[in-house]
Amino acid sequence: MEQKFNTELITNFGPDTLLPDLTFAEMQSGWDCGGGTYKITKGEVEKFARLMGDPNTGAETVPVGMIYIYGLRICWDRKVFIDQAVRAGDTITFHNPAKIGDTITTRLSIADKKEVSKEKDGQVKVTKFLYVNMSAENQDGAKIVDIVMSFMLPKTMK
Amino acid sequence: MDTARFNVGDTLPSKTLAVTQALINEYADICGDYNTLHVDVAGMKDHPLFGGTIAHGTINVEPVLQAICTVQGTKWPSAGTKIDLQFRAPVKPGMTISSVLVVKEKKADSLICDMTIQDQDAKPCVKGTVEIK
Repeated sequence: MEQKFNTELITNFGPDTLLPDLTFAEMQSGWDCGGGTYKITKGEVEKFARLMGDPNTGAETVPVGMIYIYGLRICWDRKVFIDQAVRAGDTITFHNPAKIGDTITTRLSIADKKEVSKEKDGQVKVTKFLYVNMSAENQDGAKIVDIVMSFMLPKTMK
Repeated sequence: MDTARFNVGDTLPSKTLAVTQALINEYADICGDYNTLHVDVAGMKDHPLFGGTIAHGTINVEPVLQAICTVQGTKWPSAGTKIDLQFRAPVKPGMTISSVLVVKEKKADSLICDMTIQDQDAKPCVKGTVEIK
C-alpha cells in the first residue's frame, strides 16, 4: 500500500546500539533504547477521532487512543519491535491529557526480563519475556502516559 | 471518580469497533506502523498462523479506552487510571470488537474491573484488569 504517514511529525534519538544487537544476557533493566518526539496536529487528531468514532473531536484534549500513536513509529525506528517477537501485553498508567499542539517526547528503556520454564512430556521449555518502558511527556515535562510493553521473544534469541 | 453509583458485579457501558482493512490501513497512515502483518493483504493471505492480515494490537485496545472515558465522564482517563492487559487472539478485518468491563471491587476513589475485549462471537481477544480512578 502507498504509505501516507507524515514523517515530518516525528524525530528519533538514542544510542547507535539497538535492542536487536543485544543478547538476552545483555538486556538489562534500565538499558536506554532511545526515543523520539511526535508533534500532535489538529489534522491528525481529527483523522484519528473520525477513524475510531471517538466523540472527542474538535476538543483541545486529544482522543485517548492516541496514547499509542506517539510511540509506535518511534518503536519501529528504534527497533524495539524485535523481529519475530510477539506482543504479549501492556500495562498502561494515565497521567495528564495530551493536547493539540503538544510535542510529545517518548523514551524507551528496558524495564525487566524473565524466563519462564514449563515442563511437558519430560522436556523443559523455556520462554523468554522482555518488558520495555514507553514513557511519554509533553514539552513542559508533564507526564502523559507510561506503558510497559511485554514481548515474548523468539526461540532463536541468544 | 464518584464510585457510589456502582456496585460489585455491575457491567459498565460498552464500546464497539468494527475493524476493516481500510481502518487498519488508515491507522497505519496515522501511526506509521506498516508491519506487513497488518497491511500486506496479498502477502498475508497464505500466512500459516493468521491466513490474512491482523489489526495492530493497539487497535484492539481502543474500545476499552473509550469505555473508561464514558464511565468517568471525561475526555481523558483520570490520572492514576491503570490498565493491565494481555493479548489473547488476533483481531482480523471483518470482526467487530467490544469492551466488557465488570466491577469486581469497589474502593473509595476507584473501581477495579475485570476487562475483556471480545469479538462478535464473544471470543476474547484481550483480557485484563482496569483500575478506573
